[in-house]
Amino acid sequence: MSEVAQLQLIALSIVGAGIVILLFIKAVFIRVTGFVFIVLGLFSLMSLAVPQLASLPPAEGKIDIASIKTPTDIAAIGQTVFFSKGQCALCHSIGPSESARCPDLKGIGAKLSKEFLYESLTDPQAFIYRDYRHGGVPKEYPATMPRIDKDPIGLSKNEILAIIAFLQQMSGEPVSVSVSDLDMPGQTPSAPVKAAESALVADAHTN
Amino acid sequence: MSAIQQGVKTIQRALPAVNGHRAWLAGLLLAAGWLALPSMGIAAEGTGAGPTEYRDVPYIGSRTLVWIVAQLHLLLAGFVLGVPIFAWLCEVIAWRGGEKRYDKLAKEFTKLLTSAYATTALFGGILLFLLVAFYPKLMNYLTDVFFPSFLLYCFLFLLETVTLYLYWYGWDAMQEGRKKSLHVFLGFLLNFFALFIMIVPNAWATFQASPVVIAEGTAFERAWAATWNPTWWPINIHRLIANVVLGGYICGAYAGVRYLSVKNAEDREHYDWMGYVGNFIGVFGLLALPFAGYWLMREIYQYNQQMGITLMGGFLSWLFILQAMLIGVLFLGSNYYFWLGITYRIPGSESKYRKAMLMMLVSLLLCLAVWMTPHSLVASIEEAQKMGGAHHPLLGVLGVMSAKMTVSNLMILITFMSFVMYWRAGKRDTAGWAAFGKAVMGAILVLASIAVIVLGVWGYFVPAIVRINYFSTSQVLIVIFVILTITPLTALLLKSAKTTTEMVWGSMPPRAGYSLVLNAVMVILLMTLMGYARSSSRVHWHVYGVMRDTSPYAYSPALGSASLIMAFCTFFFCILVAFIFWVATMGDKYKTAASAGKGELPHGIPAMAGGAPNKGQQE
Repeated sequence: MSEVAQLQLIALSIVGAGIVILLFIKAVFIRVTGFVFIVLGLFSLMSLAVPQLASLPPAEGKIDIASIKTPTDIAAIGQTVFFSKGQCALCHSIGPSESARCPDLKGIGAKLSKEFLYESLTDPQAFIYRDYRHGGVPKEYPATMPRIDKDPIGLSKNEILAIIAFLQQMSGEPVSVSVSDLDMPGQTPSAPVKAAESALVADAHTN
Repeated sequence: MSAIQQGVKTIQRALPAVNGHRAWLAGLLLAAGWLALPSMGIAAEGTGAGPTEYRDVPYIGSRTLVWIVAQLHLLLAGFVLGVPIFAWLCEVIAWRGGEKRYDKLAKEFTKLLTSAYATTALFGGILLFLLVAFYPKLMNYLTDVFFPSFLLYCFLFLLETVTLYLYWYGWDAMQEGRKKSLHVFLGFLLNFFALFIMIVPNAWATFQASPVVIAEGTAFERAWAATWNPTWWPINIHRLIANVVLGGYICGAYAGVRYLSVKNAEDREHYDWMGYVGNFIGVFGLLALPFAGYWLMREIYQYNQQMGITLMGGFLSWLFILQAMLIGVLFLGSNYYFWLGITYRIPGSESKYRKAMLMMLVSLLLCLAVWMTPHSLVASIEEAQKMGGAHHPLLGVLGVMSAKMTVSNLMILITFMSFVMYWRAGKRDTAGWAAFGKAVMGAILVLASIAVIVLGVWGYFVPAIVRINYFSTSQVLIVIFVILTITPLTALLLKSAKTTTEMVWGSMPPRAGYSLVLNAVMVILLMTLMGYARSSSRVHWHVYGVMRDTSPYAYSPALGSASLIMAFCTFFFCILVAFIFWVATMGDKYKTAASAGKGELPHGIPAMAGGAPNKGQQE
């Protein structure tokens, strides 16, 4: 029996207990308790009927540079980061979507250079991209792009490059991110990547 | 193995000797078990070189234990802060209007405060110990940031305690003349200090969601910057209103339970009236609560869009369907109680308002159905292919915020009109301008409803930013305008109105009592649900973006399993409140019996001080 089924059974038992109390007990306080049982049981059943989504912390797996042989390998890592730790899919769609809160990323890897994409991810306000698809006034989005090398997302340089590789591959472009662009273990991170941890985190850790 | 068997035999031999002291023994074992928990705990980190960051307890887990205790403390705190507002409002009504029954009602509820206050502090103490034990690193960090406000909090507690004692123990001594004014002022002070007792810890909690950290400055400057974080005031206002709602509906639920159990007519009248007052104050706050909630969500989006999207469009999006259901049931329950009041308390009014009540019921159900329509449907791949996506081709239109904002505003308008209808029932207008006044009010209501709907539909055709910043805000302002114009106009109209049917208290059917209980349970469940939402919106952070949760409990559980904990917290809180009411009124029963025995009150008085409305009015 699945965990959800077990919990449904518990909730059903609570509702059942409430019904039994209302049917057979005359004492007012206990009857009210039975009524409350029914309400709470129904609430739990309703909660168990909706999709059961848990929020898991992003996996802290380091990119194993040794296992990367081709740019396609980097793009595969980028795809994982895109949908997990990077939280990109929270706002962006790949393909047209009226409900997307932020620009559609389909084909973005073909439109923009690697350097421009890097800047867009780490300093999004440097150049504002506006969507003129609808003609006339550019579409405004309610969300502003955060700096993804800063917390709470805090991607490393390698993870950002992997996402760029994924965006390029997804757009049918040759992946221009090579293994040599990645920081090797023990190597001092090179510019323009900032420290993954923000000043706030450093402050928190020192306190 | 043999040592264990030896131990078991020893216990078996000892058992007959303690046969008469089983309860004591069980208590001792429980206490020993509780005290031994830390030794069984698993320090997640810190057994090595570094300091301990987390501790755990077996079976239940440290996170769940802290969750339950924190939720209960918060609910009790809401109750302890809501009841004085409720009581003080009643006292002021009695003081200014001369209706003694309100003063007695205020006293009845103030009586609860001393025991409720102690219980809240008890849970606060337990919570603090658990937090220090289970999350030492986080608590160390929060202490470093907020130390000055900890001191302020202690000082506020002293002031609140002294004021509460003076307010409660001085009630009878300060009843007449200037002393009464002083007592009302004490009530104001009590609420004033209580407000600060609420907003100081709110700063700690909101800091975790929307931290403002400055590295420079004195301890006071750092604490002040952290306190004045983006979601602090939205939460303060939201909780203040929610506490009034909680206080009102709990008063209603208590009256409902008593109404169901009392036998004599005088008590039935009294508790029927008390239920009405509780429901009225609950609805009064409920009308304003969605606006405060909207402001809070806006601030969250402005602070960090990812957090806003996690709440409204991410893994917590289904939570808002449940929230819609609970709020919808609450609106239905509150309206239903008004309609029952019109039907049973004001004879002859039912036929006059039946059509209107039916229309309101249908409108409320339609609004609720729209509010509960999910944005994306749970569908199989085949179903999704047939629909052309996760959005239903027809109903998908109703799943977006534009539709939800519209129906929530309409539900507020309908509930407000239910109240106005109840207010006007059994009265005949005599003012010369009555027809004109009613036409104006009708026009305001119709135009406002049309405007809310037009803005809602228009919202589909404009960029989201325009809808959020202008359209939704305008809808809220329109509804506030309706409430602020129709209320004084109705009051003015009824000032000269003739009462055609006297209100008959104590004639409500038993289902009225159950509807009051339902409303209270809905409010408590909503508070537990939104507590989970606020905590989960931080995802895997203790302090969002600043201090990461690295414990094994850094995940947020799915709604189903979380709902059972919410249900448990709700039930346990209801039992605690019932206990507090029982303890507070225990002495009254003896007093009543003693007084009846002496023949001072031949007809007896209600179990709680208060008396029937008519009796109170005569005094």
